[in-house]
Amino acid sequence: MLKTITRMLIIPCMAGMLSGCWDNKDINHRSLPITMGVSMVGETYKVILLIPEPVERTTKVRIVYGIGKTITEAVDHISRDMESDIDMLHMKVVVFDKPSAEKGMTDSISGFMRARDISPKAVVVICDEDIDHFFKRTKQTMEPSGTTLYNYFEKNAGWSPEVALTRIWQVYRSIYSFTRDVAIPVVKSGNDTMMQHLGSAIIKNGRMVGQISSEETLLFNAFNGESAHGKIEVMQHSSVLIVSNTMSHESKVVNNQMYMTSRINLNVSILETSSHVTNDSIKKELDSTLTDRCNALLAKIQSSEADILGLGQFFRNKIPRAELKNWRTEYLPRLKMDFSVRTVIQNEGNLKTPRRK
Amino acid sequence: MVPFLQEMKSRLGSNDDFFIQRVFLLDKPVVIMGLSTLIDVVNTKSALLEYIEQSFPSGKTVEEVIKAMSTTPHIEINEAISAITKGKLIIYFEVTKQRVIVDPIMKLLNRSIESPTNENVFQGSMSSFTEDIDTNIGIARKEFNSRRLVVKSYYTGSLQKKRLSLLYDEERVDRKLVNQVIDRIENNQDKEINHIQNLTKVMGFNSMELIPKFNTTELPQEAANSIRKGRVVLFIDRIPFALVLPSLLWDMFALENDKNLPKPIMISLRLLRVVGVLATLIMPGLYVALVSVNPEVLRIELALSIAQSRDGVPYPALIEIIMMLVVLELVIEASIRLPRSIGPTITMVGGIILGQAVVAAQLVSNLLIIILAATTIANSTVVGVQNSLSIRLFKYLIVVLASIYGVLGILGGMVLVSAYLAGLTTFGVSYLYINPAERRRDS
Repeated sequence: MLKTITRMLIIPCMAGMLSGCWDNKDINHRSLPITMGVSMVGETYKVILLIPEPVERTTKVRIVYGIGKTITEAVDHISRDMESDIDMLHMKVVVFDKPSAEKGMTDSISGFMRARDISPKAVVVICDEDIDHFFKRTKQTMEPSGTTLYNYFEKNAGWSPEVALTRIWQVYRSIYSFTRDVAIPVVKSGNDTMMQHLGSAIIKNGRMVGQISSEETLLFNAFNGESAHGKIEVMQHSSVLIVSNTMSHESKVVNNQMYMTSRINLNVSILETSSHVTNDSIKKELDSTLTDRCNALLAKIQSSEADILGLGQFFRNKIPRAELKNWRTEYLPRLKMDFSVRTVIQNEGNLKTPRRK
Repeated sequence: MVPFLQEMKSRLGSNDDFFIQRVFLLDKPVVIMGLSTLIDVVNTKSALLEYIEQSFPSGKTVEEVIKAMSTTPHIEINEAISAITKGKLIIYFEVTKQRVIVDPIMKLLNRSIESPTNENVFQGSMSSFTEDIDTNIGIARKEFNSRRLVVKSYYTGSLQKKRLSLLYDEERVDRKLVNQVIDRIENNQDKEINHIQNLTKVMGFNSMELIPKFNTTELPQEAANSIRKGRVVLFIDRIPFALVLPSLLWDMFALENDKNLPKPIMISLRLLRVVGVLATLIMPGLYVALVSVNPEVLRIELALSIAQSRDGVPYPALIEIIMMLVVLELVIEASIRLPRSIGPTITMVGGIILGQAVVAAQLVSNLLIIILAATTIANSTVVGVQNSLSIRLFKYLIVVLASIYGVLGILGGMVLVSAYLAGLTTFGVSYLYINPAERRRDS
């Protein structure tokens, strides 16, 4: 009996000792930065953390800076100087400034993946202005709730289909993939709104090599299955709401020449139009607008040799493995692509009276 | 005086309520004796005289009357004494020196059948078991009126004889189970049974089990339903509820009375109880895990507001929650103990302490108060108070594990609790069976 009791006492003690539960810090003793800015000044990293701090019924946003030879070192410096522990697991957005993005983010991104103290789900953003200024402006607009920046990229909050949504793990994947690159949103601080969306950066092997516009990003998103739902397409004299879109692709290789046929099926509903426009002309216009945009996007991709649409994925089983690593440089620029758009006008809005044909 | 009377007097005379009276039956002197606290003497006497006058036409002799009344020819002195302590009347015929044990008119020492006090019934029959075992068996017979109902009674104990009754459905019951129960009772007839712990010992169960091996119920319809399902119901004299063997996990969630409601409602009510049990087990642990070990699981908005609510709280989450849980247990215990007239005071004071003052003093975060309130409410959804007690105890295990291992600890705790429940058996019937009778029919 005594033996059992001793055992029963020792086991909980061991559970306490071996688990290291004294390392647990309560949530009010942790700082939860939600945004990190990374900028390279020469060979050193400058890290900016944006930490929302609850104060007396509201949230104050605090910006802290750290400098170090590595990002970890910089964060360590910040942590050392702060009164609470920095817990990076709530990091939602990682902002690189444009010069460092052009220089290459490979090391930082692999560092994030390796260290695991930042969630691989964090969104990567490039800021097209001085990063200090960007954060200062952001702080001003963020003040009451503290999470605005992150809401900008939240699908159930402020995200819109023109904004690319690329996570750390996707950037990491693109670094090591032969056939897939990513696009990262490029933003700068706005005047009235918190941010101004400038388009997306084309990232090749962790380096920014070009830029596409917001409209082209919409196509990029549609291509990646991030539905274009809810997008208002403005044409010369009418605008439509894309209710749903599907895409089908076919790829073939003939005489070492790559061909690809992509069909975009759009279900749209008309929002605004003038009375003399017929459904047929809307369809036609939509077709030509989208095809032009797709071709322009393709041309950009081909010239920058970065496959952000992941077109190479369709040829992985058609090109020998040994050749695959040359996809971006040799095959992609020669790819011949044929876009076609099929539009179904699902309904004509909420009007009951039929439109004049 | 005759030796029998003298012996009785010397053995019981020290009791002030022991009476010996001489009366005349059919003109023959007899002595009646008994305990005046148990017997209504006046009414008994008149009833006795009336009975003899009516049942025996004139001309009968006392001897014939004795023959007709007594069941055993000769009664020993010990037998007579134990009959008296049970509340029987002894008639001693002075001429023939014979004695007879007679059922007297008892004083009413039992409460009437009332509505249940420990379990509330929603739209169902309202009577509940009382302390008197005969009444209980009677109620059970009314609920399950079938010739298949078997009632077996035993007297156990050496100091006092306690009556124990076994009720079961002759056809549906597991014979092995009944035989085992009967064996246990017969082999331990010298043991006292004053409470359930005694009975647990008699049945040979481990007395350190957290889950009671008997499902206790105050409601006759629940007991009758258990009998119908092939389980054994035990009654002990002076214990106002039925003990159902074997006890099953499902008893925690299902009430026979639910079947008075439409089926979808019954299912959702039972689901609600399952949710209640899970919430009781998990919520306090989840609070500790999310606040101190795995805050990354929370959405950032929630994390910030929790951090804000904990701002200035001096203790780590584990101490905080255990402190408040203990206060809450004290409130619950106090409100059971207190007389009904003072009870509301505790509720009010407890409400103020828990609801306002503790938060205002920044001893605990106000989220914790929400968690505690939800836990306590959820805990009360379980059927049967005895079941909610064990669940209440299990949640501490999970809180401690959660404080060490976080969300993983909660999972570990749940696995431990499940494994413990799965390991319980009562006479070879696992605690997790939903309907043991059906299993037997299949096999």
